[in-house]
Formats: sequence, C-alpha cells, structure tokens
Amino acid sequence: MPIEQANGLALHTQHLSTAAEGERRPQVVMLHGLVIDNLSSWYYTIANPVAQVADVHLVDLRGHGRSEMPATGYTVEDNVDDVVALLDRWGITGPVHLFGNSFGGVVALALAHRHPERVASLFLIEAHFAVEGWGEHMAGSLALAAFGLDEDSVQDWLAVNADRKLSRLAKRSERFLTETSLIDDLQAEAPIGWLPEIACPTFAMYGADTDIMDRALELEAKVPGCELEIVPDCSHSLLTEQGGLVRERALAWLDRVG
Amino acid sequence: MPETVTPEIVLAQLEEMLVEVIGDDLLLDGPLTMETSFDQDLQLESIEFVALSEKLLETYGEQVDFVGWLAEMQLDDIIALTVGQLVGFVAANAAASGA
Repeated sequence: MPIEQANGLALHTQHLSTAAEGERRPQVVMLHGLVIDNLSSWYYTIANPVAQVADVHLVDLRGHGRSEMPATGYTVEDNVDDVVALLDRWGITGPVHLFGNSFGGVVALALAHRHPERVASLFLIEAHFAVEGWGEHMAGSLALAAFGLDEDSVQDWLAVNADRKLSRLAKRSERFLTETSLIDDLQAEAPIGWLPEIACPTFAMYGADTDIMDRALELEAKVPGCELEIVPDCSHSLLTEQGGLVRERALAWLDRVG
Repeated sequence: MPETVTPEIVLAQLEEMLVEVIGDDLLLDGPLTMETSFDQDLQLESIEFVALSEKLLETYGEQVDFVGWLAEMQLDDIIALTVGQLVGFVAANAAASGA
C-alpha cells in the first residue's frame, strides 16, 4: 500500500500508468469528495481508462480512505497544501490536469487559483464551493447536506449497508465528523471571490437533479471559458451514476487539452 | 509463483491477502469459499478492494489485470462479485501467461 509522507501526514496514494519507459504523458491528479468518499470512487470508474493515455495519480485526502486522520486542518487550503506537497514529492513540477469530484472540485479550483503554474486544466464533476451564506448553510445538520450527507442521504446509505453491523467505513466516518475539526473548518470557509481569475481550461459536469445547480451556473458565469455540461436524470452522484459518460468526456477532454 | 496456478492455490493465497487487508476478523464466520461474496459476506469496503487489487498485482503480476477486469463491469456486478469469480479470473489469466 503506497503510504507517502507529505505535509507532515501519512497519505495513501495510488499511481496508474501504462506508459513505456521514458514516455512523457499528461499527468492527471484525481481528488475525491467528502467523508464517505475516497480514491476508490475514481479507481473503479475512470482512473483505469484514463491511465491508458495519461499517468494517473489518486490521493486519499487527509482523514479519508487509508490516509491519516489528524484532529485538525481540514480547510480547503490545508488540502491544497497536501496535494502540492505530494506533487513536490513525486517530482512533478510541470502543470497537471486536476480532476475533482464534489469537495475535490473545490480543492482543485483553489489549487489552480493559488498555483496557476502547476495546473494545466480542470475537469470538475459536481464541484462544490463556498458561496454567500455558506457558513449558515453549513450550520447544524445542514452542514452535511451540502455534500449529500444530510440525514436522508445518510439513512439511505445506512439502509443499503444495514447488514454491515461492524462497518468500518461507518465507524470511521462517525469519528471523522465528531472527533475532528472538519465541520468547523468547512463552516469557516469564506465564499470564493476569485473564480474570474482561474486561467486554465475548465470543464464542469453536473447532474440535472443536483442540489447544487447554483454552483454549476456560477462556474459557467464566472470562470473564463468554462464549459458546462448538465447531464439529464442524474444527481450529485454523477460519477458513479454515469461512469461511462464521465469516462468518455474525460478522454475527450485530455485529447483536446492534454 | 507455483508452476501450476490451480483454483485451490489461488483460493488459499486470496485468503492470506484478505487477512492482510481486513485482519483476522475475516475468518470469524468460517473459512473462505468459492461462494463467499465480497460485499454481503466479507463486507469489504471499496477502499479495501483497492488494497486487495494491489496485493493481486504484487502476487500475480500485470498479466492478471484485475483493475482492467473490474473496469469492464457495472457497479452492480462488482458489488455482487464472489470469491469464486475472482479465483476463476486469476487462475485463467495466470495460467494463460504461463506463470
């Protein structure tokens, strides 16, 4: 299991590549969503097909999957620092294509804003980011609704996993939400005012039935040249609901900007 | 690598790998069989599946392209996957490559 030390943490990563010795290919880094998500949602959907044309690097963000779960440090900026530390460790100094799902999308956007020289393009699925009123929205039980972790969603999820009486993921998620600063850190995120400063090519996909359509429209309106695709009959779980379509779009995107 | 990769050998190796991934809890409900399902019986988390595929790669090499095999499946098929299906896949591919 590749556990790598970066930014003072032990982070779980996976690297997929079919490159021949010495072959230079586009570098793709995929960032997942919050709490019950981890790098496996990329691993089983589009990582392998994309690895046929690019070097793919998957990261379990801090607190997620098999990465270390520190007590504090869950702001978007902390996550950006982790990913940059990993890029440094891997010796990747040239621009990479950042793929972000949900919360991974805001980490990708923030990285592209803070380190524009390190990002070649953004491929965003259901990207989530702070807007006006975010703090209040993140309060109380609503805190989790923003990421599809509201009571209904969690109940749905538990119903599917009900026989997992000792579910390790459920226990880990509970620890994450109750014993770390995650919720406080997310609540403290300020609305993003710098979307017009994003300088790289950006492609965004959202499900037509998503609960964050406002984010989709804001990205299209504010990120220069942002291409937006709304997928009919899909929810926030676009990546798993329409893995085949996302795969097609990802390969076409790399063909154009890679 | 043994010269002949029989399903029985793969099953035994797979059990060792799963114990390494999940821990001894794996064997609480009895030994691994061809009918054991990864989701219902083993309650394997998706991230643990990633760890398992890494161990398969270490053990059998790239000719047993587990990730590529999974990439061709629908999510429902992956969830319903049994130990026997995986053993069959490994044995067929390891044997085909002469491993």
